[in-house]
Amino acid sequence: MKFFAQSFLYDDPWSIVSLAYFLRYPNPYASHVASCDVISRTVTPSGTLVTTRLILKRGSLPKWAPRGIISKAESWIIEESEVDPVNGVVRCTTKNLDHVKVMRVEEHVTLKRTDDNKTIQKTEARFISNFGWGLTKQLENHSLARFKANIQRSREGLSLILGLIRQARMQPITFAGSSSFFLDSHRYSSGWTTVPPAEAHPHNASNTDSV
Amino acid sequence: MASSLSDECTPLKREYDSCFNAWFEGYLEPAVSSTPAERLKYSQDKAEEYESKCGKIWSQYQSCVQRAVKEKGLETLLAQARAENPLKEPPALEAQRSHA
Repeated sequence: MKFFAQSFLYDDPWSIVSLAYFLRYPNPYASHVASCDVISRTVTPSGTLVTTRLILKRGSLPKWAPRGIISKAESWIIEESEVDPVNGVVRCTTKNLDHVKVMRVEEHVTLKRTDDNKTIQKTEARFISNFGWGLTKQLENHSLARFKANIQRSREGLSLILGLIRQARMQPITFAGSSSFFLDSHRYSSGWTTVPPAEAHPHNASNTDSV
Repeated sequence: MASSLSDECTPLKREYDSCFNAWFEGYLEPAVSSTPAERLKYSQDKAEEYESKCGKIWSQYQSCVQRAVKEKGLETLLAQARAENPLKEPPALEAQRSHA
């Protein structure tokens, strides 16, 4: 088993970061996301919103992966989240549904409102392989290295969405419903493929890798 | 917005997502209210608003996507994963504890 943990501070308020988090697909930094569906969603009696999403991701296998164990490099991911707007907390767990003997990756993300109205993101991930054949450790190390390389891209994707929300909210003309400008622009944006790097805004980071 | 796992459901998914996102933006910013009764009222009102605005398109989208899930043979995998219930602790409890 390998473990990864990191925290990151966004300067934006929790409500905006949480919105961006739910709107993060598609973005040009997540071109591996092939589909994303909500398969269950309820407002609980305590007022929180519980959502299950089913996501299909396409990836590439390492060159040394034994042929035939995985027929194609795609994986179904289940994402369970709970949003508590009163206390300012999002908790989200994702894990892969298939290929679990080769590799199970479980990621836990929390987004919390801070006292100064910023947002702290905590990410924890576990990598567990039961493959055996002397490859368990190699597979876990590979998976961890990939995750670390991708976390920066995920953050850039989220920052891009944050930038779009900020822009939309600065529009002087308000439409019926505060959100329609951004949401419409996002709605028709699924065809985008490239983005100039300057559009992604890096934020203050407080990174602590513990592996 | 990302596509649905079935092309057939993608238009319904996009329509539903637009409805949900508009509602969700408001849901994320509750008016500051301190009493538990006010909070309860707020969440009940928001739940009702969601149902009345997005309930119909949600049902249409769900009947499409649940059928696609069956066709792709994902039901068993999903049932297993959801039985494990990864959200063990509601965030409300955790927040209360950290403020205590």
